[in-house]
Amino acid sequence: MDAITLTVNGAACTGSPEARKTLADFLRDDLNLTGTHLGCEHGACGACTVIVDGRAVRSCLMLAVQAAGHEVTTIEGLAIDGELGPLQQALWDSHSFQCGFCTPGFVMQATAFLGDHPDPDEQEIREALSGNICRCTGYQSIIEGVLLAAERNRAR
Amino acid sequence: MTAIAAERYTGASIKRSEDPRILTGAGRYVDDIKLPGMLHAAFVRSPLAHALVLSVDAEAARALPGVVAVLTGADLETMTVPGPDALMALLGWAGPTPEFTLLATDKVRLVGDPVAVVVAESRYVAEDGCDLVEVEYDDLPPVVTAAFALDPSSPPLFANLGDNIARPHSRTEFGDVSGTFADADRVIDFHIDVHRHQNVPMEGRGCVASYDADLGVLTVYAATQSVHVTRLAVAARLGMTPDQVRVLAGDIGGSFGLKIGASREELAVAAASRLVGRPVKWVEDRGENLTASGQAREESFDVRAAVSNDGDLLGLDVKMIIDTGSYPALGVTVPDIMQAMLPGPYKLAALGFESTAAITNKAPYVAYRGPWASETFVRERVLDLIAKDLGLDPVQIRLRNVAPRTDPPALMITGRPLVGVTSRESLERVAELVDFPAFRRRQAQARAQGRYLGIGVATFIEAAPGPRSPEGPSGPMGLESMRLRLEEDGIVALFTGQMPHGQSHQTTLAQIAADEFGVPFEQVRVVVGDSDVVPFGLTGGSRSATMTGGVALHGARQLKAKVLDFAAHLMEASAQDLLITDGHVWVRGDPASAIAVSEVAQSAASGQFGDDVDATLEVQATFDGGEGGWSGGTHCAIVEVDVETGLVKVERYVAAEDCGALINPAVVEGQIRGGVAQGIGAVLLERSAYAEDGNFQSSTFMDYLMPTACDVPRIEIDHLETVPLDADVNFRGVGEGGMIVAPPTIVNAIEDALAPFGVRIYEQHLPPARILELIAEADPRP
Repeated sequence: MDAITLTVNGAACTGSPEARKTLADFLRDDLNLTGTHLGCEHGACGACTVIVDGRAVRSCLMLAVQAAGHEVTTIEGLAIDGELGPLQQALWDSHSFQCGFCTPGFVMQATAFLGDHPDPDEQEIREALSGNICRCTGYQSIIEGVLLAAERNRAR
Repeated sequence: MTAIAAERYTGASIKRSEDPRILTGAGRYVDDIKLPGMLHAAFVRSPLAHALVLSVDAEAARALPGVVAVLTGADLETMTVPGPDALMALLGWAGPTPEFTLLATDKVRLVGDPVAVVVAESRYVAEDGCDLVEVEYDDLPPVVTAAFALDPSSPPLFANLGDNIARPHSRTEFGDVSGTFADADRVIDFHIDVHRHQNVPMEGRGCVASYDADLGVLTVYAATQSVHVTRLAVAARLGMTPDQVRVLAGDIGGSFGLKIGASREELAVAAASRLVGRPVKWVEDRGENLTASGQAREESFDVRAAVSNDGDLLGLDVKMIIDTGSYPALGVTVPDIMQAMLPGPYKLAALGFESTAAITNKAPYVAYRGPWASETFVRERVLDLIAKDLGLDPVQIRLRNVAPRTDPPALMITGRPLVGVTSRESLERVAELVDFPAFRRRQAQARAQGRYLGIGVATFIEAAPGPRSPEGPSGPMGLESMRLRLEEDGIVALFTGQMPHGQSHQTTLAQIAADEFGVPFEQVRVVVGDSDVVPFGLTGGSRSATMTGGVALHGARQLKAKVLDFAAHLMEASAQDLLITDGHVWVRGDPASAIAVSEVAQSAASGQFGDDVDATLEVQATFDGGEGGWSGGTHCAIVEVDVETGLVKVERYVAAEDCGALINPAVVEGQIRGGVAQGIGAVLLERSAYAEDGNFQSSTFMDYLMPTACDVPRIEIDHLETVPLDADVNFRGVGEGGMIVAPPTIVNAIEDALAPFGVRIYEQHLPPARILELIAEADPRP
């Protein structure tokens, strides 16, 4: 087990994960960042989505050692000075979620998407989020939250 | 003091107090629990549906560095107490009761049946250990269909039963069944199948069990719909008294009926923790969840309908066979409620109902969001099939058959009064919201262009809680308890046995209590998830809106009276002259007299008054459901079927729903949309599939297809709140309705779309391949 260094939520971290350890397990077990959830561990549900170097990534399909030298953002890294970030605030205002288990994955996927597409329409959002599964909501409230965040970003 | 709050929280879409933690990754789910010295469990599972277990060799696994223990079925048997499934015992099930062990000993009964548990320093090592456990099996003939299970030649799964009948055949008649059928203009026969599908919460099952040998106490961190049912289950199977078991639960990632009591795996983990004296965590992976956690809804129905030439549904005679899978769970109780609910809101004169439950080598039949929902599927399908035969409009045939709202109320032929039912209004509302004539014109134009649009409606009612029965000592769902206390910091604390897993109780119950007591919403704390401090309770069955909402209202009222009685001493005023608003007690007409409720609570705690003054600002409240009532509604879908690919697109979906008074409209709408999404998934995508040899074929999300944001349309919701029955509590349950009524709504629309091909649909699962088969098999009529 070689030591790796990576940046997580803006801070440098080191660790010595086994080669087979997923990034998700490394974040959860070694760094205690339990906001990243595991919903399927085969890359289908999107609950474990994090952002690596600006791109949404399924942390259950990436090994921790592959993240060495890269910049990782998790759900814990989105709040600004303890306040909800603008997307999180819009999702709260829109009653977007219920049980909350899929939530971190949706928030990270939508964060990456809005970064590249600041002015999306509903269908683009649906397609961008179609790799994330939510069992509770029927998605409409999530879509509305992302639309609201985009609208507020444009007004800013 | 601040201005007196004129507006009420109840009825407003108050933002959820759960969300700040959920949106920041600060929710605490069971997999987030980390205890000192914690070990991890993984299960060795059967690859065969039905086989004798000849031997289990765990030596190599035990020798693996990092493995702390490997427990086989035989090991577990010496450490635990045999007994029935906890939920079945709680329900008072007295029918056939299979005898089985927590981990397989003599035989395995489904693919995924747990055979051994490996406990290790990490989950990775635990799974490595599983690979090293060698199990020798001897194949038995798999019992994969209910038909084979009911054949006396099928090998019994459970030796003590001697056959594969989970519930013996029974028949009940309501009204004059033979006379009704003899006098009917027409008698129509159908066979209708509902396929197996399942809950699939995004968080699977899991627990952390931690045994303290010094105290003799087992603490279980659980994902459960009831910490108390889990506590009873763990205590019973581990041979402990309930007070030696404490169950804690935090955030729960969905359940939809799956997580009730304690599964065999959770009980094995609890026993393992007691054995090794260290905390043990088990969180199932998705493969385990899909394969072995439980499935639902595999039923078949032979239906005879007695019909008049005008379209009156006079009687039904239904023979149901339910495939309850292997180990005992809720399935055997489903026929009772299915029978009671089959008439729905309609004025049937007669119902014959018979049922048999079969045991098969498949996952157990668990509760899934409206477990009895197939009664609605059958009834609403039958109405459309009759309407097509008679050339009637789907709304008209339903309006024709809905029982009128009368005083005294009409009775369902199975007995319960249809008091306050608004099926007629919901049908009429749907017909207002959706322009049927315009749709029919558009449908005709589309067909001329080779495009196939269809419209479907379906109606349901749900006993959530159900009407008060005149002779009953309490309401339809028994009693709900809540403890309420005014804390010294002014917080009104509600202790409830509800165990929210997405339902937003920490918001909705606080809304009700804040209004009733007179404090800001933020000043109410809803305490859940600790069997040592919350009263008995269970989240499920669309229970909480009425029952827990009701006890929150009445409990807050009682607590307020108690606080005012005490404050009367403190403020030297008559309690009748005191008010509580915005967290302050004040003398009517004298705002300057206001003191904060925290001050009142601190005075009570200080003991400055003698024993003659009751200074305990706490009440134990119960609520029996009041006058109760029905929830229900009518849904309408417009779909387009691509007859080349078989793909179905839901173009529009409208729900007219009545759940009485809304506590929080956004929460209600989330429940409805979520249920509808599951119903759409059930029809178009989801199926728990077994091969002929009993191998499970949908153990990943590549095979078990879940609806995504591209599959679920916008769902338009219209609320009816037409008939208050109770003086105070008219909130009704809404959690299950969407999942109950969406499947027939979608199937009815698909059949309508395929009408030019003469397609008639007698099943619920309609993936593209099946749509193409139906078209190919159909016999177009002129």
